Amino acid sequence: MVNTATATKPPASEETAEVASQQSSLVRRKLIDSSITVVVFLGLFVAFGLWLGKVFLNVDGRMLDVHQNVPIMLLGVAVLVTLVPGMFDLSVAGVATLSCFLTIGLTVREGWPFPVVLLVALGLGMAVGLVNGFLIERFKVNAFIATLGTGGICTGASAVYSGGTYVGPLPGGPQLPHWFVNLAAFSSKAPSWLMAVCILLAGVTLFLRLDSVRPPSWPQNRWIAVKTVALAVIAVVLVFGFQAHQWLSAVSWIIFFLLVMALVLSVLLQHTTFGRHLQAIGSNRSAALLAGVKVRRQVMKSFVLGGFIASVSGVVLAAGQGSAAPDVAASFLLPAFAAAFLSTVVLSEGRFTVPGTIIGGIFVVWVGQAFVLGGVDPTWIPVVNGVVLVGAVALSTAMRARR
Amino acid sequence: MNDDGSHSLEISQMRKSFGPNQVLKGIDLTVGKGEFVGLMGPNGAGKSTLIKILAGVYEASSGTIRLGGSAVRSLADSPDVGFIHQDLGLVDWLSIVENLSLGTPPKRLFGPILNKRAEREEARRALNRVGLKLPVDMLVGDLTPGEKTLVAVARVFDRGAKILVIDETTSTLPPAEANRVIRSLSAAAESGATVIMVTHKLSEILDASNRVLVLIDGELVHDTPTRGLDRASLVRMLMQHEAAGPGADSLAAGRSAGEGIIELRDVWLGKLGPVNLRLNAEEVVGLSGLPGSGLHDIAFAVNGNLAPDSGEVIPLRPGLKRALVPPHRESQGGFSTLTVRENMSVSALPRWRRIGRLIDPRRERSECADIAGELSVKPRSIDTPFDVLSGGNKQKVIFGRALLRQPDVFVLCEPTRGVDVQTRSEIYRLIRELTAKGAAVLVASSDAEDLFSVCDRVALVEDGRLQPLRHVSELTASELELMV
Ligand SMILES: Nc1ncnc2c1ncn2[C@@H]1O[C@H](COP(=O)(O)OP(=O)(O)O)[C@@H](O)[C@H]1O
Ligand SMILES: [Mg+2]
Repeated sequence: MVNTATATKPPASEETAEVASQQSSLVRRKLIDSSITVVVFLGLFVAFGLWLGKVFLNVDGRMLDVHQNVPIMLLGVAVLVTLVPGMFDLSVAGVATLSCFLTIGLTVREGWPFPVVLLVALGLGMAVGLVNGFLIERFKVNAFIATLGTGGICTGASAVYSGGTYVGPLPGGPQLPHWFVNLAAFSSKAPSWLMAVCILLAGVTLFLRLDSVRPPSWPQNRWIAVKTVALAVIAVVLVFGFQAHQWLSAVSWIIFFLLVMALVLSVLLQHTTFGRHLQAIGSNRSAALLAGVKVRRQVMKSFVLGGFIASVSGVVLAAGQGSAAPDVAASFLLPAFAAAFLSTVVLSEGRFTVPGTIIGGIFVVWVGQAFVLGGVDPTWIPVVNGVVLVGAVALSTAMRARR
Repeated sequence: MNDDGSHSLEISQMRKSFGPNQVLKGIDLTVGKGEFVGLMGPNGAGKSTLIKILAGVYEASSGTIRLGGSAVRSLADSPDVGFIHQDLGLVDWLSIVENLSLGTPPKRLFGPILNKRAEREEARRALNRVGLKLPVDMLVGDLTPGEKTLVAVARVFDRGAKILVIDETTSTLPPAEANRVIRSLSAAAESGATVIMVTHKLSEILDASNRVLVLIDGELVHDTPTRGLDRASLVRMLMQHEAAGPGADSLAAGRSAGEGIIELRDVWLGKLGPVNLRLNAEEVVGLSGLPGSGLHDIAFAVNGNLAPDSGEVIPLRPGLKRALVPPHRESQGGFSTLTVRENMSVSALPRWRRIGRLIDPRRERSECADIAGELSVKPRSIDTPFDVLSGGNKQKVIFGRALLRQPDVFVLCEPTRGVDVQTRSEIYRLIRELTAKGAAVLVASSDAEDLFSVCDRVALVEDGRLQPLRHVSELTASELELMV
């Protein structure tokens, strides 16, 4: 059975067809992979809706949940920034607590000018991040231990500062600026023209980004027509099926701020040298080093960035509550990690992403809230969060193994 | 072949697709007792896929497998068949005897008490069979890569395998160690075992096999006895375009080198030194040596990844840019969770920065796609996840990363490890192009062919010293073979 057929290169046209079909199968797999979790998400939402009816299917109520939990989602993004290069930052909750205390305390107790207070509170987060980075990258302290320690120091320092009690404005004493407190109220909505601009930008981006799933064989005008129709259908479904306009009009300044932060960080991770280096480090640290990435420096920068976002979360918390209670942010660590790990199964192929973290955070918040609305005692929420965190990690590991 | 049919392997009309990508297009193959079959073919041809189907890792889309006449789904459960994959599946922190008895039914004295003596005795016999003279209590982690491979071979035979299937296990071994493995495999074949081995090394095929299969693009295009073949005819069978002859085209003998680019002066790296080495523009310097000789340490020092214990690494150009192809592509080269594009662009990102330090996605995509096309990386889409590429294609992507960086010095460790004949000649062509454009190239390779195909001056790292560089044109081929 000697086969003497000589191999010949396939003709050019056949080859391009092969490439085309390979690409579209890749695209199909991507779409299926990322839509599964979205479908699960929507399914749960519908299930809760059927169970609880109007109590759960309430635009204002659900947006209020999101609004009140913006600090958690910010913390989710803060841990994400260090999870991307494969590090764990457990200090973020402590940092958020301390900057919350500093924001309130320095203003109402010491009477410092508010801009200075903000600079100190945010600078604190960056300083702790820098210390974390140094401990981990220069002194080779295990990241868990280093950040557990610095986080503990921050939580402890805020308790020492407050004497272990609540700190808030006293009648007749210095107050937090009005604009600061008002901005954080759920009733101060982002103006509708701003939302309109955002929708327009999102639509245009989506319109352009869709090109990456274009079937290669389709002519230009057919593709544009299909794209336009698809977007129009999506818009109609969102407006009539999900009352998109109501959701939009319920977006508060704080939620808007969260979305802007998310956008900036997402661009930072995807489209800058820093972000791409972090992803390479997370994938294979020694390969990154040999490819010329300044690994230690980039990891330290990611801790500084994570600390900064954590302190932003503390400031937002201060604005929302107007006072600081001991250990305010301690219970945020678990849902923050749950949100970050959910991002590896939402809209992505096993990677940590910023939009995924926001969606994951909303998921965590709504699941918890649904149980509360259904009559489960709120003390159960950490249990639910724990289940979601472990479930998300198990799911993302399983998805990765399947590929 | 004297086929008694008892353990002959028969594959018919085997097809396999991953999505629309047809990887195997109807393979018909019968392998009889005592045959030593060499399976060759370009990277991405489907060799590993074929073997993984036999091993039960993947399921064939259609076709049948028969073992000793009866149809089976895969050979995984048959005690007659043993597989050795590139990852040998040995446990480094266990001893040889413990590794050999892993997964076999324990030998008991009485009750739960194990019969250690019998296990050790059997381990010793198994090692003897593959010609290894080692104490069976040695930790596997302390063995050389070649010895580990031999232990893996011994384990497979120990379990009673009569058919042995080996995927590119020798391509990462230094030549001397690979020879040992090949010798023990041929001995096994002579005593009646069947061996099916994937390799890119022509000498292994010529020395050991008695039948050659060539798989190209999922089709078996050649199936001939090895007897009567020589290097040139093998190469002809493997090449898809005859025009692009392998590294045989002559190098620019006596070509003069350009200005100096980087210099190592009295450098000590552990016990290795003093190393004095100057890399010049428009010149390829080749270093070779055994594993453990410190060969790759010199390369890492040139690239700045390893600080010398004493001495200096002196860049002779301001803002000198360097790029490295590391010796181990999985552990040191690839980002398995990222895409091909992200793997290629990681060292070149600053070049594509625009306003606001954002990376220009169009330029990134088009430059990556150009290089991937030039290196004919398969699959062609640069958005493919890196971990589904075949080994040789991974190597191309990592080579592409170095190209994209556009450095003054290329430091290439084992640049052709595990790549097929055609890609090899393509890589040689690219290296010559690089030097023509003014780059300096350092090749640190344990493969003699790399040295005489593409290098201008070569030297051996031996006994903790870097031997003096000599022009390749002054050396004969046999001298070079001896060097490695
Ligand atoms: N799990 C997989 N999913 C998709 N494509 C794959 C998978 N495994 C291999 N391939 C593709 O099949 C082709 C053949 O690969 P392989 O059998 O590894 O080649 P080689 O002959 O180099 O061993 C390649 O194009 C590879 O990208
Ligand atoms: Mg292979």
